[in-house]
Amino acid sequence: MASHQRLRARQAHAPGPTYLAYTPSGKKLVTAGVDNYCRVFTTGSDDEPVTVDECQENNTAVVAGSGFFITGSEDGTVSRYSLENGKFEEILVRTTLPVRDVALSPDGNWIAVASDELVVNLVSIKDKTVRTLRDQPRAVKHVSFDKTGTQLAVSCTDGNVYIYSLDEDQPEMVKKVEGMIKSMESDAESSSKVLWHPDGRAFATPTAMRQIQVMSTSDWERQRVFKTGHTADITAAAWSPNGALLATTSSDLSLCLWDTKTQKLLNKFDEVKATILVMAWHPTENILSYTNNEGELFIHTDIVPDEHVSLLQKPTISAPFFHDPSEGRAGVAPIAKLTNGNLQTLPGRPRQRSGTPDSLEDILGPEFQDDPAQEDGDEEMNDFVVDDDGAGYAQAMGLQKKRTNGHLTAGPEPASKRRAYSSALFRPQIHEPFQPGSTPWRGQRRLLCCSLTGYVETVEQEGKHHTISVKFYDEHTFRNYHFTDIFLYDKCSLNETGTLFACQPNSTGDGNTAMIYYRPHETWTTRTEWRTNLPAGESVTAIALSDSYIVVTTSTNYVRIYSLFGLPIRVYRQKSAPAVTCAAWRNYILTIGNGPVQNDLSTQLLYTIENVKHDVVYQDSDILALPPGTKLTSVFFSSEGDPYVYDSEGVLLVCLHWRNPGQAQWVPMLDTKLLARRAGGGKEESYWPVGVAASLDDALAPKFHCMIVKGREAYPSAPVPHLSEFGFEIPLRSAVDKDGGGVRKRKGRRGSFSHDEDGEDEDDGDDGGAGLTTKSNEAKQYEHEQTFILSSTLHTQLASSTRPSTTHKRALGQLEIAIDRALLQLLGLECLAGEDHGMKALEIVSLMRDANGNMLELAGKVAARYGREVLGEKIRELAERKALARGGGDGDEEEDEL
Amino acid sequence: MALSLPPGLTPPEIAFLCEMELVTIIPRQRLEGVELLAGPIRPLHPPHRSNIPLWLALLLKRQRRANILPPPWLNTHSLTAILDHETEHAETFSPPPRLPPQPSSNTLPTSPPFLPHSTADAAPDALPYHWLELGEMLLEAASDDFEEADNVRKLLRGLREVRMAKLRSGVEVLDAGGGFKMNGVGGIEVGEGRAFITGVIDGLRKIAASREQQRKDRDQEELENGYSGTANYDDDEMDMQ
Repeated sequence: MASHQRLRARQAHAPGPTYLAYTPSGKKLVTAGVDNYCRVFTTGSDDEPVTVDECQENNTAVVAGSGFFITGSEDGTVSRYSLENGKFEEILVRTTLPVRDVALSPDGNWIAVASDELVVNLVSIKDKTVRTLRDQPRAVKHVSFDKTGTQLAVSCTDGNVYIYSLDEDQPEMVKKVEGMIKSMESDAESSSKVLWHPDGRAFATPTAMRQIQVMSTSDWERQRVFKTGHTADITAAAWSPNGALLATTSSDLSLCLWDTKTQKLLNKFDEVKATILVMAWHPTENILSYTNNEGELFIHTDIVPDEHVSLLQKPTISAPFFHDPSEGRAGVAPIAKLTNGNLQTLPGRPRQRSGTPDSLEDILGPEFQDDPAQEDGDEEMNDFVVDDDGAGYAQAMGLQKKRTNGHLTAGPEPASKRRAYSSALFRPQIHEPFQPGSTPWRGQRRLLCCSLTGYVETVEQEGKHHTISVKFYDEHTFRNYHFTDIFLYDKCSLNETGTLFACQPNSTGDGNTAMIYYRPHETWTTRTEWRTNLPAGESVTAIALSDSYIVVTTSTNYVRIYSLFGLPIRVYRQKSAPAVTCAAWRNYILTIGNGPVQNDLSTQLLYTIENVKHDVVYQDSDILALPPGTKLTSVFFSSEGDPYVYDSEGVLLVCLHWRNPGQAQWVPMLDTKLLARRAGGGKEESYWPVGVAASLDDALAPKFHCMIVKGREAYPSAPVPHLSEFGFEIPLRSAVDKDGGGVRKRKGRRGSFSHDEDGEDEDDGDDGGAGLTTKSNEAKQYEHEQTFILSSTLHTQLASSTRPSTTHKRALGQLEIAIDRALLQLLGLECLAGEDHGMKALEIVSLMRDANGNMLELAGKVAARYGREVLGEKIRELAERKALARGGGDGDEEEDEL
Repeated sequence: MALSLPPGLTPPEIAFLCEMELVTIIPRQRLEGVELLAGPIRPLHPPHRSNIPLWLALLLKRQRRANILPPPWLNTHSLTAILDHETEHAETFSPPPRLPPQPSSNTLPTSPPFLPHSTADAAPDALPYHWLELGEMLLEAASDDFEEADNVRKLLRGLREVRMAKLRSGVEVLDAGGGFKMNGVGGIEVGEGRAFITGVIDGLRKIAASREQQRKDRDQEELENGYSGTANYDDDEMDMQ
């Protein structure tokens, strides 16, 4: 620790605006001001500073890297100087108008130059290549790189912040943040600078209300606010190196220190004599340095009072979110906050994502992370890791794990690397539990549930309560309602009978137990709502509501089943644990849990389907087929009662044959990546599954209902988008050579002539198909193949359902006809293709269901039209055999399969 | 007394015809099916989408019983693309939507009011016959169902200007025997253009007729007194010099 020094002003420059910067190691401090030299101070020494001459006058910005520093001046030059010999090196860039700010990227390779010109220049320090950012309409006041150097925040004088992504070769504006900073002149003393929080997931800016507003970068939602109480505009602010403290100052001549976690004032210094323009924390020590507009430099040692100094020594702490993004969908608090350290109750913990392939954290292992005692005692070791490029790895990233990205962690890591993480050699990745249809917090809002009945949204309010609103799609039958929620319900399930809520233990902070709350919808008579408690310490992982039962899976691996009146019907322990989620439809319940660990260290998901009323288990701990690296996004029953799952790859799967133990199969019904609306490419959107229901027009064609989420977001947010529906399309071929339906325009412009031909051919299989291209033939074949396989799958699905009724039989008959029709079309195409396709044509004919015997006759006619006599003969034989089989009794089905 | 209306359809009449178009709605409440002369209306079942005639959709929208889904060509992205196409190709209009394959022999071919050109699954890149009327009506009655209603309005306005300019400039070639290709022109554009174009053609016809008359007269004169024609001709040349 540095020796105690009395706070005194050092006259660094002639009176006038003065700026400063620390080198990444914190050893040197550079100041620049109105006069034509810069000064380099050495931390912890009272010696006269080194003076670097040959500078420009009226400097407006200074940044320091390892071994050099860069100044920007009002005459438009940005110059680089060496720190070692204190000499001018070169002019990096010249602007036509005064430079207002310069920012250095964390890797020290790029600078961003803001000037009164309308553009921001990104200049490479090495070869002086320039990239230009042009999206802002007015002059720019501040620029600021984020901690990884992949994003640049530009504070424009028009009162908006423009965020650029620097990942690509050509920088691209990713977000325009409106209404956060104040619109001010580019030479104003007040600041609108974007302050990236050291944890990298949020930034803060001074607002027009003289507050500091935090915004998360994952969803661009406003998070907590520091109500600074400054009576004039904020002129400078800075996060402490670990993000635990915030220093703000304003032209009302006060300097405040804030605790990030609570946003409370820790200390206030009023003895400021002149407006502070720049503040900088020393990278490791308890020092805050600042320069003012009188040319003075203050090196304020021990700025954090002793009672709070522990805050400064912590590892990087989280930015002040309303809800930490790492909580994810399950809303599970980060690991450190949980009371019982049992790993089994922490299924949601994501695996740490390694930042760089060989970051020091990985190499050094946990011994060198976040151990305050060691940091104090072993200064040499601290110095060993010199944070040269400001990448932030000298401060341990510590407990603050970034959220896992499913696709990034797809592959297994090398064992050596994994060993470095902790002493445990084996850390399986457990599937995060989730409530189907719920989204993570976004700002203060969150969707708790969305179903085909409606959706439930919760909004966090000041004063530790939420407001839950239940919205129905059918506003006539049901009535929308909202209520104040003091139990902080975090799970919900909604159907046409009622709404089910669940809250976690200790959600109100006074040690309450987990609770389930069922609220039936209003009907002709008032029905009573009820609540029931779970045993102490047991938390709810997922809930499901059907027309007759309520299912609750809990952290103690119990499945609890209640009736709609709150009567416990059954309690049993789930075989596959920890539980992931559950779903229910009428008497059927589906529970999903983590099963054995697979070779990529993720667990296999196992599901169980049972009928509560008849007490029959249909599928017992069967495997839920998910490709490696894929997560389950949602699970639900369709309105016809078939279990569907939707995975993070955007594939909707249905469980076929689920009523026969051991026979179940997961069949993909729709791959949203292959949707025709995305054929053109360039459309970036995802689909949030809501349900599957048969359409009214055609009861045989179930549709997938979802919310379309535009952009890179993964979850819908307010305002909740309208439901969209898509017909099923079993993925057969790549989207490119699919039918022309997706690219209608080109065909349409060619004129309708060719389509007329198409139409004719489609209908009666005209012989003269000379005008047809093979491409459209292929497209038609694809279409018929699709119809065939889809109808067959739906037929299988329908045939295996248990209740035979007249409508059921009729539906089966219609599907059979649909299958046969598709086959007939395929047969026509094969006949058209040539004589050598006879074998395939016969196979197609043999696949026909031929419920009434007419279809084979038709097939014979098709063959005759194309003049395929041999094929016609074979078809007649087949028809005779089938007729014989039908006449001779249903016994020998084998004949058909020949 | 003769009806003082101009020939052709008035804009309200065209708008009335446009109300036959099918649009997609998301109902907000259940509704039994209705058997109408124009065809049955299927029962509405929230949240399932349904295609119903525009007049009913507007009625339900006003009563807050439904949300109308604007057709895909009525979003800023598509309209911008179409507007670009219109400005790039100065002579032709953007093509109308592709017609479906002809139905089998014994049914009548379908035409716009019976084709789903304005439902949620219509083609996003072509303006149907009733584009302007439908767009205006939807923007008026259901602007809250649009994502960027103001921009859509602006683009529609731009499209209308561009296409009207084309229609007007097309008149220049409408001389004797001249033709002008009007593929893809919408209903209201035809209605608006009709008065102007017929007026122009009528005027041209009159001019041509008077010229014709003059020629006839001159010919007759020539026939009557053989030499005066050439003398006149010389005079004319003198005048011009």
